[in-house]
Amino acid sequence: MNALDLLLLLSLITLGAAVLLSASLTGRMLTTMGYAVQLVALFKIDPASVQTSSVVFNFLNHTISWSFNGLSWFFALITIGTAFLVSWFATSHQQKMLHGALAVNVFAMLLLLSAGDFLSLFISWELVSWAGVLLMMLGKEDSLQASLRYITYAIAGGMSVLAGIVLIYNWTGSLNFDALYGLNLNPYQYAALAVLFIGGFSVKMGLMPFHLWQAPAYGLTAGPATSFLGAISSRMGLFAIIVTLMHVVSLETLQQLELIPDMFSVRNLLIWIAAISIVLPTFTALRQNDARLLLAWHGIGQGGYMMLGLLMFDRMGSAGGLMHVFNHASYQAALFMSVFAIIHRTGTSDLNKLGGLVARMPLSFLVMLIGIIGLAGLPPMNGFVSKWLVYRSLLNEGMPLVFLAAVIGTLGTILSVYKLLHNSFLGQLRLEHEHIKEAPWSMTIPMLLLSVVVLATGVMPGLILEYVVSAQLAMGLTPIDYHLGGITSSGSNISGDLDMIWVVVVLFSGFAIASILFLSTGKSRRVHQLDNYAGGHFLNANNQYQYSDNFYAGLMHIIKPWYRYSFKWFEGALTSLVNLASVVSRSFFNQAHMLILMLVAVTAMMAVVII
Amino acid sequence: MNQYVILTVVLPLLAAFLLPSAGRFSFSIARLIAPLVLLFSTYLLIDVFISNTEPFVLHIGDFIAPQGIAFYIDELALIMALAVQIFALLLWPWKAPGSDTNSSASVKQLSLMLLLVSSANGLAFSGDLFNLYVFYELLAVATYGLIAYNPNNDSGFDTGFDTGFAAAFRYLIVSATGSVLALVGISLIYFLTGTLNFAHLATLQTTLYNPIGLTAFILILVGFGVKAELFPVNSWVPEVYSATSRRLSALLAGVISKLAVLVIIKVMLFIFPYDEARQFVLILGLAGVIVGELSALKANDFTRMISWSSVGQLGLVFVAFSIPGKAGIIAGLAVMFHHMLTKPALFLIAEKWGGNFSLLNGQGRKTWLLSAAFVIIALSIIGVPPLPGFWAKFLLLTGLADNTAYLAMIVILIMTVIEAFYLFRVFNHLYGTETDTSGNILRHSFLDQLTVSVLTVLLLVSVVELETVNIMLNSMTDQLTDLNGYIARVLGSSGAGI
Repeated sequence: MNALDLLLLLSLITLGAAVLLSASLTGRMLTTMGYAVQLVALFKIDPASVQTSSVVFNFLNHTISWSFNGLSWFFALITIGTAFLVSWFATSHQQKMLHGALAVNVFAMLLLLSAGDFLSLFISWELVSWAGVLLMMLGKEDSLQASLRYITYAIAGGMSVLAGIVLIYNWTGSLNFDALYGLNLNPYQYAALAVLFIGGFSVKMGLMPFHLWQAPAYGLTAGPATSFLGAISSRMGLFAIIVTLMHVVSLETLQQLELIPDMFSVRNLLIWIAAISIVLPTFTALRQNDARLLLAWHGIGQGGYMMLGLLMFDRMGSAGGLMHVFNHASYQAALFMSVFAIIHRTGTSDLNKLGGLVARMPLSFLVMLIGIIGLAGLPPMNGFVSKWLVYRSLLNEGMPLVFLAAVIGTLGTILSVYKLLHNSFLGQLRLEHEHIKEAPWSMTIPMLLLSVVVLATGVMPGLILEYVVSAQLAMGLTPIDYHLGGITSSGSNISGDLDMIWVVVVLFSGFAIASILFLSTGKSRRVHQLDNYAGGHFLNANNQYQYSDNFYAGLMHIIKPWYRYSFKWFEGALTSLVNLASVVSRSFFNQAHMLILMLVAVTAMMAVVII
Repeated sequence: MNQYVILTVVLPLLAAFLLPSAGRFSFSIARLIAPLVLLFSTYLLIDVFISNTEPFVLHIGDFIAPQGIAFYIDELALIMALAVQIFALLLWPWKAPGSDTNSSASVKQLSLMLLLVSSANGLAFSGDLFNLYVFYELLAVATYGLIAYNPNNDSGFDTGFDTGFAAAFRYLIVSATGSVLALVGISLIYFLTGTLNFAHLATLQTTLYNPIGLTAFILILVGFGVKAELFPVNSWVPEVYSATSRRLSALLAGVISKLAVLVIIKVMLFIFPYDEARQFVLILGLAGVIVGELSALKANDFTRMISWSSVGQLGLVFVAFSIPGKAGIIAGLAVMFHHMLTKPALFLIAEKWGGNFSLLNGQGRKTWLLSAAFVIIALSIIGVPPLPGFWAKFLLLTGLADNTAYLAMIVILIMTVIEAFYLFRVFNHLYGTETDTSGNILRHSFLDQLTVSVLTVLLLVSVVELETVNIMLNSMTDQLTDLNGYIARVLGSSGAGI
């Protein structure tokens, strides 16, 4: 039994504990401990090595195996880490199915991350898809609808991948990852594989145009589940796309598949899909009035950055894309937790019904503040570092238009996360929230831990870049040069140095100067939130100062005409088409004269034979 | 020992006709005889199955084929016959359908069941078209009676005023017309070749490769297709399956339909191994998949949903068998056996789950055993790895890809998505909805729960024993595709009989 076997076994044990014991508080704590032990076991595996599980299955003279490399290790770190904190966050959560479903997800994801050939990749891919449903079904009626929509998309994606795998098996007679190495397929075959694999996997990733399911499916389910799903679940799609790029169609092949000769290749198409997936979902997020949906839509948009970075496939871009997976998981989980701390206390996440909670829930506020700075990609949080790498790479590769799209996306992010923070924590406290308390410690400690991660890896990105580098090595790329504070570009002709420690020092000295100025200019007086005035009127409990409703009215007015709901329309049209086909085919069974069709069929076939 | 296989056809037939007389003496004896006969046949079949590795031929009355009647008994035939006995026992009408009291099934019903089993065994073993037709008709008669059977009526059967009557009548019309078509097809073959023995026909394949021969194939395909739920002649399916008892539906959809499929496949393999014939099977199969799955999408009760899904699944079986070569046979057998395990279980579950889907709300927690069984079976049907349904579908898809039948591949993959949608909707009702207002518990009888559990466990065991299943499928395929061996065994190596 090697280290990978041990990890998978521990994951199974955690699963068992979660299913059997989660009815009691001790059991839930044990489950959380289980993830901690898994983390320890993960660190026992050397990320730079390749571990192959000793468990194998045979089918059709084919051996199905599982193995682990630096890339798997990196994603596994994020998966187990998130699961650990989310499980901790959920210890006071009573819903029985939650912990079991979470553990099933982690186990399925570990299987996917260690997939050693196409068949095990598909098996674990389907397991991950179905495991996700378990978490999505935890919510109320609308989450059930969302999960039904999700599974339809997911199975469609899965079937696309299956078709691709069947084609590979047919063309090469093998299901090993190296099946296609050294083979010269024709461009159409490569194009078919690219469409089937990348199309299928990007469904989970929520890349446009397959994004519609994601926000409701992730956002509307029970609290802690959302944190986990939003943080890592859709990144399994990214992992699978990387595997595709490594073993099925390389980026060079994609570059050679030209849609417009010498101008626009499939790779360019993917880059633009990624760019659009940044911009549109981000502005859709801006329009949301439910905090959970707002964040979930950002999850789709941030996925675009990761995809963009990877599609650059140079040292910086890929490092940025990979690092963004970690960073996004950390701040997104923290943000969702903070939102669910609010829901836990107030019972709502409607941004028009909150406000002023900073006075009652200061720790949750702090978490959200750190989280949104990370999400917006501003220093000193970790989101800045990864986005900076992606930007640098875009500029180095000479893609100013895509860079512009990415920046517009960031702008939209900043606007919408401010809306999130303002509408929930700033402004005036509502009367009904007067007696609210801070979330319990079982919830705030994991939140705060995540915030520490967001800040620490922002100031010292080298902590994470170490693992990013081993992932890059596993992908066969030249790794970036890093140090604790950031990146050096010595030895390469492209520019791009970053030292976050210096950035932070400068930033905080700015803050220090500002606070010295603030403190030295006279005294301020603390007032009650209701003891205030605006526009010459005193504000009281009946007449509040609350700007949350119809936030960004002007901006909304501008962007609204741009929304044609074409994707929704297309989805609806497709659904109607299937429904129509269904009605037609049912009428076949309802006919009064069944024999006519029989005779028609026989006559038609005879006609074919005789003619 | 081998010659005793004939008893599995004769004994149930004899018992079927003796049962009414025996029932006049003592009802309990009659009730006891029927399952005992089945148990005995099961024992015989298992014994023969274990003691034989090679196929063998039974010349009835020692009249040599092709003049005499020949039973050709290979692994596949034995397994199918075994499946008939076992499923007949599992799905035996211990209680009369539709009655909640403990009133037992009447002698008439038991006698019809025995007739069904006997003719099904005959269908599995027969080595010539004439006997196939006879057994098929016998089977049809037994089925009409069983569908129309109604214990609450004085006569024992539905009359014009009962629900089952319309279904049985429609079924009768379709099936009888199908039989006529098949008979015309068989006559055409006889007209062209002068023989009906499979082995003899196999040597005369070329005389049948002409428009008249292919017409005969089409007529046989559509004629026998009625019971195999083939596309244009399957419109009786949802109506009959929702009108009769679930146990009977389970038997018809699970086992009997497969026997009809095998008849068609044998005809295709031995007599018409031509691309044209395969094309027809492929197209009708695909049409069945499309129509079945799309109709199931809009079904508003559980029984109809699984009836339609059964139409779709049998379409898949036909698509698989239309692939030329061994790959097609293996895939077809895999899909077929998978359906044989899953569909009866689903119909048994439907026993209490009929009616609107909203009745199922919250049942996942109340009746966890059957709900879990349903989830496993449904996932397997969708083809979620590593459940057996996935491997069957994988074989099917690789087979199609090998023959560049990409369109068929696409259709099957899309229909899988639809399948997943409507089955997952049921999961939602079972586990998701928290607002369960009815508060009722849909508890199945202990026997049903046991049967469903056994079938589900079998399904799971086959995941672990994938290699064994693979070996068995391969050996069945080898025997089925060994045409020269077949001819030699039936006609003697010298071809003495011809």
